Amino acid sequence: MQRRHFLTLAGAVAAGALAGSRLLAQGVDVDAILRDPAAPTAGNPKGDVTVVAFLDYNCPFCKKAAPDLERTVKEDGKIRLVYKDWPILTEASVYGAQMALAAKYQGGYSRVHHALMAIPGRGVSKEQMAAAVRASGIDLARLEADLTAHAGDISTLLKRNLAQAESIGLQGTPTYLIGPFRTSTLDYAGSKQAFAEARRRQAAE
Amino acid sequence: MAGQDGMTGHSLAKALRWGVLALACLSPLKAGATEAAGFTSLFAPSATGEPFTLEAARAASGALLLRWTVEPGNYLYRDSLEATRDGAPVPLERPAGEVKDDPTFGVVQIFPRDVEASAGGLEGTGTLRVAYQGCSETGICFPPQARLVDLASLAIEQAPAGLMSSPADGSGRNSVASTGAAAMPASLDESDGIASLFQGSLGWTMLAFLGFGLLLALTPCVFPMIPILAGMLTRSGQALTARRSLVLTGAYVLAMAGAYGLVGAVAGWSGASLQAALQTPLALGVSAAIFTLLALSMFGLFDLALPAGLSARLTGRGTGGSLGGAALVGFGSALIVGPCVTPPLAGAMLYAAATGDAATGAAALFMLGLGMGLPLMLVGAFGPALLPRGGVWLERTKQLFGVVFLAVAILLAGRLLPPPATLALLGVLLVGSAAFFGGFDRLTAASGAAARLARGGGMAAALYGATLIIGAAGGAQDPLRPLVFASAPAASQGEDTAVTVASSDGFDRAVAEAAAGPANGRPILVDVTAAWCSVCRSNEQVLAGPELRARLSHLPQVTADVTHTNAETRALMERFRIVGPPALFLVDAQGREIPGSRIIGPVTVEEITRRLDAAGA
Repeated sequence: MQRRHFLTLAGAVAAGALAGSRLLAQGVDVDAILRDPAAPTAGNPKGDVTVVAFLDYNCPFCKKAAPDLERTVKEDGKIRLVYKDWPILTEASVYGAQMALAAKYQGGYSRVHHALMAIPGRGVSKEQMAAAVRASGIDLARLEADLTAHAGDISTLLKRNLAQAESIGLQGTPTYLIGPFRTSTLDYAGSKQAFAEARRRQAAE
Repeated sequence: MAGQDGMTGHSLAKALRWGVLALACLSPLKAGATEAAGFTSLFAPSATGEPFTLEAARAASGALLLRWTVEPGNYLYRDSLEATRDGAPVPLERPAGEVKDDPTFGVVQIFPRDVEASAGGLEGTGTLRVAYQGCSETGICFPPQARLVDLASLAIEQAPAGLMSSPADGSGRNSVASTGAAAMPASLDESDGIASLFQGSLGWTMLAFLGFGLLLALTPCVFPMIPILAGMLTRSGQALTARRSLVLTGAYVLAMAGAYGLVGAVAGWSGASLQAALQTPLALGVSAAIFTLLALSMFGLFDLALPAGLSARLTGRGTGGSLGGAALVGFGSALIVGPCVTPPLAGAMLYAAATGDAATGAAALFMLGLGMGLPLMLVGAFGPALLPRGGVWLERTKQLFGVVFLAVAILLAGRLLPPPATLALLGVLLVGSAAFFGGFDRLTAASGAAARLARGGGMAAALYGATLIIGAAGGAQDPLRPLVFASAPAASQGEDTAVTVASSDGFDRAVAEAAAGPANGRPILVDVTAAWCSVCRSNEQVLAGPELRARLSHLPQVTADVTHTNAETRALMERFRIVGPPALFLVDAQGREIPGSRIIGPVTVEEITRRLDAAGA
């Protein structure tokens, strides 16, 4: 009880702060994209550079680049990674995104995300995705419950991602926003370069 | 309920974090403003035009011709070209595509240049819906496109497309259940047996953990608590009544259970690893100090060393033992049995950390501690009748327990000290107590049997102690094999396939090495162990046994040594969400844990074999 009370209070304070920033910041959309509190994150939450990854679970290039991105984020140690589930390619992609986001409620987003990203190809069916999620070791009963209980929240987030991608004119998956940059090709060397450049720009500003 | 609670907390906490950041330094505002200018494209060509355009025409035969213009550098997937009329599929005549064989994506047919498809039987009026999808060679896949072709005028307009418009709306529609949930085994129950305990009602959860605690009380790792408790009661001396003894034992047990409850609460609050918290140098150091103080009070040194008031509090003279002292010892005892209770703790912890439901996690672990402590109440009930009541024997017994307490303090400190130092300390303790108990006393012809026995026992202890000190000087680590260094190769022989690491980076390097070695592509066995973890020793014996030796010799192994608690070992444990040793699991060549391969706690040959089979190792 006390904890909930505390968090409600803290939430109110935080909401006030966010509202303030929304009024002050010019780029409303950009701020929302970088700091959507509902979007799953990885890497270092206090990192000095943020990468926003717009991904689809049926996007072959996303899957190809995923290990390189994870490796860069891990090795660097100061990168904040924001996942934007942007299921645009197939209907199964939507299904995969819903499961991954539902897993977030039990702290299992990255587990499901990696399980789905690990299925190669572009024509992955819902059944294949469900099998991968089953094998990921996630609490399925919980996932099922969260999927139902939070259907509205998940749907809202997916739509918000969609709108955000549209607002900055993204063409397809994958798209990575690294600091002020946007790219769709990301390999290990390239991503290191991009992060270095983004840091350089940030320092110059 | 718990789920909703947890999520609310989670997102709020996250919001809070960002909010505080925004308040504290306004840096997000600055970042937002500077980046608001728009994202510049760093690598991708800024393709502004449509990569694909669709046109429709009528052939002389009356068939409908669909023509896609493909901008250079892009391609359409052949199988994505589809047409429907009033929801019914219309067969399209598509030319053979170019075969693209990508190791990552498999074999697909693509159209990297303009392509034409035709469909017959589409005379008259109506609307044809045409869908297509493609990618750019630069590595970006475009969303599927849909166009509506008016069959009479052949005018083309954008179709109201979008996957998101429908499926994400239907709340229950895309549940896991609708996609083969019937065939979905409760895999959780198999791999994380303890976690399933939480799926029942709260009452059953609590009962189950109480039962688990009772079972744990029967394992050897709780036995050290018995002499500790007995020692505590002995210290109270003559004033100890049966009733007082029970009260003291109750305080001890409650404090022990409380320590676990606290750990559960911390886990629920912060999601932090439990044993990382318990095994911090501070916690261990404080506990070691407590036991040292207790030991000194057993030797009667306390009255001199401490202010009378504090001494009286701690030793509880006159009142038959103080409740506070008993509780203090109980709390410290929770640390001693740490590694033994790893499996149930892991279950409770994972639950508490995953749901953020601190209350349930704390209550469950409290019940666990209570279960572990209940049998100890027997000691409390019958102790006073069995323990000496006064005279020389009482003094002797107190001294004996003083030695036990010192040993406990050394073992606790040993989790921080290098193993040889621990060995040396134990050796010194043994030699010292040997002197204390008469091991070096001169025997005369008149000496009685008791004195002779004491001399014999003391000499044996002194000899063992001396051996330990010699072993420590030689760098030995195992108190049961202090002279192992004398037979040099034995130590390294059995472990030639295993690389020992103590950090997340080291783990990555070891995995990369193993993956590059002859066992390329095979799973890698990861053994999380610590020098102070007794169950780990027996696990190692299982692994080295004849049934598994041959099989494991082909398998790369990485030993994660978390003997020393520091930022690196903590990060390593948190990475794999390990609560503490012992844990055994398999990772793939990329260092990712293979789901369902984890064994927490003691292992058996059958269990390992099963996991190896499942992982194809």
